Amino acid sequence: MAEALVSSQASLSSPALTAQRAPRANINASQWRNALFIAPYLFFFVTMLVFPLIWGIWLSFHKADTFGVGKFVGLANYARLFGDKIFLQSVGNTFYFVLLTAPALALLGLFLALALNRQTRSAAFLRAAFFSSSVLSVTIVTLIWRIVFIPDFGLLATIYGWFGAPAPAFLSSPDLSMIAIAIATIWWCVGLPMMLFLSALQQIPGEIYEAAALDNANRWQTFRSITLPSIKRTFILVLLIQVVMQFQLFGQARLMTQGGPNNTSKPIVMYIYDVAFKRWDLGMGAAASEVLFVLILIAAMAQFVLTRRRGEN
Amino acid sequence: MVVAGDFAAAPKRSRSITAREVDVTAHIEIRDVVKRFGAATVIDHLSLSIDPNEFMVFLGPSGCGKSTLLRMIAGLESVDEGTISINGQRIDNLPPGQRDIAMVFQSYALYPHMTVADNMAFGLRNIGVAANVISARVAEAGRMLEIGHLLERKPGQLSGGQRQRVAIGRAIVKEPKAFLFDEPLSNLDAALRVRTRVELAQLRHRVKSTMIFVTHDQIEAMTLADRIVVMNNRKIEQIGTPMEIYSRPATRFVATFVGSPTMNFVPVRVAGGGAGGVSVTLGDGTSVKTAVPAMKLEPGEFTLGIRAEGVRVAPNGQGVTTGTVDVLERLGDRTLVYTKLKDGSVVVAEDIGYSRVAVNDTVSLSIDGSRVHLFDASDRAWHCEEGING
Amino acid sequence: MSRSTSIMGREFGDRLVLALVIVFALIMLAPVLWVIGLSLKANAELMADTNSVFRAPYTVMNYFNILANSSVFRWILNSLIVSTCLTIGTLILCSLAGYGFARLNFPGRDILFVAVLLGLAVPEQAVLIARHQIFGILKLHNTYQGLILPGLSAPFGVFLMTQYFRAIPKELDEAALLDNASRFKIFWKVLLPLTVPAQATLGIFTFLWSWNDYFWPLISGTKNTMFTLTVGMASTQTNFAQSEGLGFLMAQAIFAGAPILILYLFFQKYIVTAVSGAAVR
Ligand SMILES: Nc1ncnc2c1ncn2[C@@H]1O[C@H](COP(=O)(O)OP(=O)(O)O)[C@@H](O)[C@H]1O
Ligand SMILES: [Mg+2]
Repeated sequence: MAEALVSSQASLSSPALTAQRAPRANINASQWRNALFIAPYLFFFVTMLVFPLIWGIWLSFHKADTFGVGKFVGLANYARLFGDKIFLQSVGNTFYFVLLTAPALALLGLFLALALNRQTRSAAFLRAAFFSSSVLSVTIVTLIWRIVFIPDFGLLATIYGWFGAPAPAFLSSPDLSMIAIAIATIWWCVGLPMMLFLSALQQIPGEIYEAAALDNANRWQTFRSITLPSIKRTFILVLLIQVVMQFQLFGQARLMTQGGPNNTSKPIVMYIYDVAFKRWDLGMGAAASEVLFVLILIAAMAQFVLTRRRGEN
Repeated sequence: MVVAGDFAAAPKRSRSITAREVDVTAHIEIRDVVKRFGAATVIDHLSLSIDPNEFMVFLGPSGCGKSTLLRMIAGLESVDEGTISINGQRIDNLPPGQRDIAMVFQSYALYPHMTVADNMAFGLRNIGVAANVISARVAEAGRMLEIGHLLERKPGQLSGGQRQRVAIGRAIVKEPKAFLFDEPLSNLDAALRVRTRVELAQLRHRVKSTMIFVTHDQIEAMTLADRIVVMNNRKIEQIGTPMEIYSRPATRFVATFVGSPTMNFVPVRVAGGGAGGVSVTLGDGTSVKTAVPAMKLEPGEFTLGIRAEGVRVAPNGQGVTTGTVDVLERLGDRTLVYTKLKDGSVVVAEDIGYSRVAVNDTVSLSIDGSRVHLFDASDRAWHCEEGING
Repeated sequence: MSRSTSIMGREFGDRLVLALVIVFALIMLAPVLWVIGLSLKANAELMADTNSVFRAPYTVMNYFNILANSSVFRWILNSLIVSTCLTIGTLILCSLAGYGFARLNFPGRDILFVAVLLGLAVPEQAVLIARHQIFGILKLHNTYQGLILPGLSAPFGVFLMTQYFRAIPKELDEAALLDNASRFKIFWKVLLPLTVPAQATLGIFTFLWSWNDYFWPLISGTKNTMFTLTVGMASTQTNFAQSEGLGFLMAQAIFAGAPILILYLFFQKYIVTAVSGAAVR
């Protein structure tokens, strides 16, 4: 006789077994106790980051000093802020500084990455050397660069002295102070863009270059048609990272020029510092912080969108 | 013959298990189990009974749900509906560690930073087995699997085959009621796979335990299994011994999936009953007398299935039909002859190793009616009476 | 002919690149060499002519004077305490959270993870003022806790560890579950030992960041005895070249910078991974 198809639906269920309604084991079940692993971090995340963030926004609508929060003043802090010439000047200074540093850092980083993207020992040594300044603290960096720029005893003054010329007053001239800070900053920060470009370059498959060599492409053609398109995204990314980082300029300005002369090198963060921690006008300081936050958020969002798009491809 | 009716017999059998056997080996009962991943149902009301000490193989194409079913038994996937019990006790509500089950993963999943000995001891330490018992069991497993000299190595220092043994050793030392293997041979190279397969066959006689083995490789299934569960597309197609699966496939899917070369399928017309078996008419007009009983078989369109060994190249004129040779595959002991019949249907026939046939020859083919299977429109199989073959 | 010109062109390009790299390397190096030179000169000589840097005699007197200056050692100790505690704390918190996010399910997990990721975009300045006020109320300023606790909220480590745990095959957890291990045991005994490279990366990154952090220690640890090295060194700069002398200041810069540079040379690989990872997040 022909066999019947096996019916997987054969339901000869025993009542004794189906009657049992014990909870089913599920190792992937959503359980509150699993959150215990997150809880310690979450405590600090909420108390040290989320709560202060919200408090800061709230603070920016109040008159406040170190001893407590005063009365609600609405947008008065913001109004005072935008009426303050020094604040507007510090915003302008910050944009100027970002313009001086971010493109320069990206281009210099790219140049160094292209030049040092080889397997030789000297390239490895130079990579390490160019990155080494990045691990120093801002204090040491400014110490080093002040002793370069300082009149009379500085390296520049000494070198100019060999030619019998007086060195430009980098730190005390309104036109040059921001440039001096920018030079020190580029010296300090160039390692990161270089490393980012290097890792992007190393991700370009070698076969593409071999194929190009077989097609008799010369160096410049190879660079234009293969290398540049492959790292275009990275370039934009590096640029945005630098924009976000350099927006937060503080230590260099505070230590090299104290924001001077005449506030020409005072960035937003230093303005916040002065208002909040020297004049103790916390409400207005908070308002300035929120303005900075929004500016940085715009740049960070652009970065997020770009990385996302790269991930999708 | 193991078909649906077997499910009804299973509980009776479980009651007859002696107390001693219950401790060491598992009767696994899967009832009406359903598994969904989001909207997709991966296992659909599946029932299955696995006997104590049985070596059961889940066979099916990739993605048919074998691993999912195995992992449900292990407790690594939750059961959406239905129950799974071992020796009459429900286990689908127990965490994986309490099911008294050991599993060998396809990737082996050895703990990379622990030595081989620690890999094997980890599970025993977690349940507080005495240290001297642990070292005795580890040593014994090391001897049995010939990895005794590797006990102080880390998995990274072992070859693929050695890692595989450690994974099996890690399962053995736990002395579980059941072993679950998820494609454990698929990461080995061809030669090692064959050797390990033989060793596994030997191992199961030394280790008295129920074993469930998942594979998509029909040769592994045929050589290792007591019984095979052929799965396809969320459900069981057939449960049976390797020979039942091979010679009496319940569905066209089973017939296609098991056996190499793949069974020949030719559309036929069943004319009607005759004494002994039905006669069918091939597309080229040839009439073939089969051993499939005429009873219950409605006349009409069917698919005739026959393996290459049932179609032979006959000395001139003695066959029932003729075909043109397309391709020859010389396997040494026999030759596979790919022929095209007059109506264009392709049939693989068998000939002796030193076949004189050449490509483009017209050969005469004989068909062994007792090896014929008929598949109706719903792909359900009709075979000859039991005992005539298989 | 055309072949030889192209080779010459190539050589010229190579030389130009090489020359530029050397110029940049000199610009990188010159200030440091200048600082080293000054640090090896007596103050009186420098005051007379800085060109004396290029002539003997040299002296290590300035470095001996550091040893006599007790503040520097106090600052180094403070920095060590703060950076070490913060690093250990971060490793513990982020490992636990990374495992939780990567492997366990709990109500609100995905939203929470997104929230933590968004935390990456919050600049420190947006929370500093409020945090300063809160810490004032809690009397945490000028304490080690005050300097350590804020750093524990940095989301980067959670992100890094979650990614790392996700990359470990899930079969290991499953094998351990079948081996009767609890979730904590799986974390502690099975997975954590496999995350050592990530721990090293995160640890060194956190340590460096904390060691160099300037703004928060500046406004929280305002007493001289609670200065970190970074803030303390900054405090001596305000009276630049006056009281203590150029050579002494420069010796201090070398003295403070050398340990971190040595640390960098030892752990270069991890630092580069961490920094690139932090930026590309
Ligand atoms: N965790 C999961 N989430 C969603 N779908 C899954 C998951 N695991 C398995 N599947 C799906 O279930 C089906 C069966 O998978 P599996 O049991 O692994 O098949 P097999 O082991 O037979 O190859 C596949 O279609 C697979 O895509
Ligand atoms: Mg599978």
